[in-house]
Amino acid sequence: MSGGQTITEKILSRICGRRVSAGEVVMPEAELITVHDWYTVNAFRTLDDFGVTKLHDASRVLLVTDHEPLAVSPQAFARQHAVRGIAQRFGVAHRDAGRGGLGHVFPVEEGLVTPGMFIFAYDPHVTNYGAIGALGVAVLTEIPEVLACGSVWLPVPETLRVDTIGALPFGVFARDAAQKLIGSHDAALFEDAVVEYGGPGLASLNIDARHTLCNTPVELGAVSSLVEPDALCMAYVQARAQRPVHRTLPDADAVYRARITLDLSAIAPQVALPPTPDNVVDVTEVAGKAIGHAFIGSCASGMLDDLRVAAAVLRGRQVAPGVRLIVTPATQQVAADAAAEGLIEVFMRAGAMVTAPGCGVCAGGRIGGVAAGEVSIGTGTRNEPGRLGAHEAVLHIAGPATVAASAVAGSIADPRPFLRDVAWGMAA
Amino acid sequence: MSDLVMRGRAWVYPDNVAIDGDLMALEWALKRETRPEVLREHVFAGLDPDFPNRAKPGDIVVGGKRFAQGNPHIQGMIGLKGCGVGLVAESIPVGSFRNALAAGLPVLPRCPGVRAMFENGEEIEVDFAAARLRNLTRGTEATFPPLGAHLQDMLRAGGWGPMFRRRLDAMAQA
Repeated sequence: MSGGQTITEKILSRICGRRVSAGEVVMPEAELITVHDWYTVNAFRTLDDFGVTKLHDASRVLLVTDHEPLAVSPQAFARQHAVRGIAQRFGVAHRDAGRGGLGHVFPVEEGLVTPGMFIFAYDPHVTNYGAIGALGVAVLTEIPEVLACGSVWLPVPETLRVDTIGALPFGVFARDAAQKLIGSHDAALFEDAVVEYGGPGLASLNIDARHTLCNTPVELGAVSSLVEPDALCMAYVQARAQRPVHRTLPDADAVYRARITLDLSAIAPQVALPPTPDNVVDVTEVAGKAIGHAFIGSCASGMLDDLRVAAAVLRGRQVAPGVRLIVTPATQQVAADAAAEGLIEVFMRAGAMVTAPGCGVCAGGRIGGVAAGEVSIGTGTRNEPGRLGAHEAVLHIAGPATVAASAVAGSIADPRPFLRDVAWGMAA
Repeated sequence: MSDLVMRGRAWVYPDNVAIDGDLMALEWALKRETRPEVLREHVFAGLDPDFPNRAKPGDIVVGGKRFAQGNPHIQGMIGLKGCGVGLVAESIPVGSFRNALAAGLPVLPRCPGVRAMFENGEEIEVDFAAARLRNLTRGTEATFPPLGAHLQDMLRAGGWGPMFRRRLDAMAQA
């Protein structure tokens, strides 16, 4: 079959040095390989077992400490120490605790990831790199092969094209759009595909919003997600790129698995009920359910704009009695910017806790988790039983405005009334 | 006939069998257990707990659509390998397909219509290289798109570990 190429096919064609198409199996060499926290210890133990003493290209490897940056257990102290030793022994870059933050986000902020790049990572949410039109794919068992040999087999994925139209209504944000998208379609549409976002609706969605859009489809089985790099993206990238930029756009006659439209103007605040992120309802259907635990952060919703929205709700208000609210900026940069804008002060005065940049509660509830019987609403990536601690806790996920409003109300709340008197600007 | 042929009884399962819960309890993934002889005892614990006692080497699991869907933990595939069975399905998400190959489990992930071809317990023969399935009870046969050469090599090698060893050895010689 002839026809044009998707962004994914073009990126993998560049990497492979020949034209490749969806369905064929290739051995693409990653331009960046990221490995996180304790997975680092496991991956390098396997390399030791196989007698590997030298990596294929140490300069392409980035170790990050983000799932548990502020170690709170003897096991975590030991693991962090082990990761430091591994970084030294193999001569690879290591962004330790306090030196970057969430590894799906700071490489974009710092221009270490650029449009058109191809990345392998030992973590499913590497898909955030799609915010600027890069292709990040998770590899688990075989990550030692990628470290030692540079590549591993990959079927070139099919692409699901999502054309965005319209603009988000008042009080509705990117996370609501992302939840609505995965909640409105059958998993079979997303499974094993790359989600490629385009369309005129993108013009109103900045890079922070695009991180969110690229984060969520993996929960429905997508291999990755990326956004067509438009003028807004290129302006963001020009200001920070530290590597070559391969701006990659789809052909007009690209062959897609399917093509769907996401009308941003038709979306209301969304809440995912237990037990999965795609079990989504409008907030009005679940409003009033009492909560005790609230979390704002994660690679899905821990960016500066997310904190701005949360602060807009919380400014001059108090977290309700009986509720604890934990706020985790995604990166050191986000935390610094939030401090400079006075957002951290808003959180502290409202009675929230602000934790070390990274994954926050979402990384298995290692910090600030929940007990059996507790009800939580948060902006983490997933809500399967046990994700934030006790298996018997009840987990909801929503956008930062809804979580902040719920923390103030003491029960799941529509954020729009809380935002009526607020004016704030969303920077690109 | 190729070198990758298995013959036995068909074990037919419905669509949307989950990795965690249906195929194997999540606790084995959380324990990071990877020994086939341990995991074989827990295959289909949530769906068909008698499977490990009754399945015989050479038998074939016939899955529906989205077989082994969910967070791609490898333990269920290692368990199936430990039982000595093979796996064919209407569809398998790529994360689980990777895990099956990594575990050295003979697998064909894209066999649309395969569930209608078999009833539980019928005699089945699968040529994993040619991607040809036979229902020996009914005398029917179907062929599907075969795995690529690299993936067939992985099956022959016995999974990801032996394949990685081979690649490292080839690099050392080059």
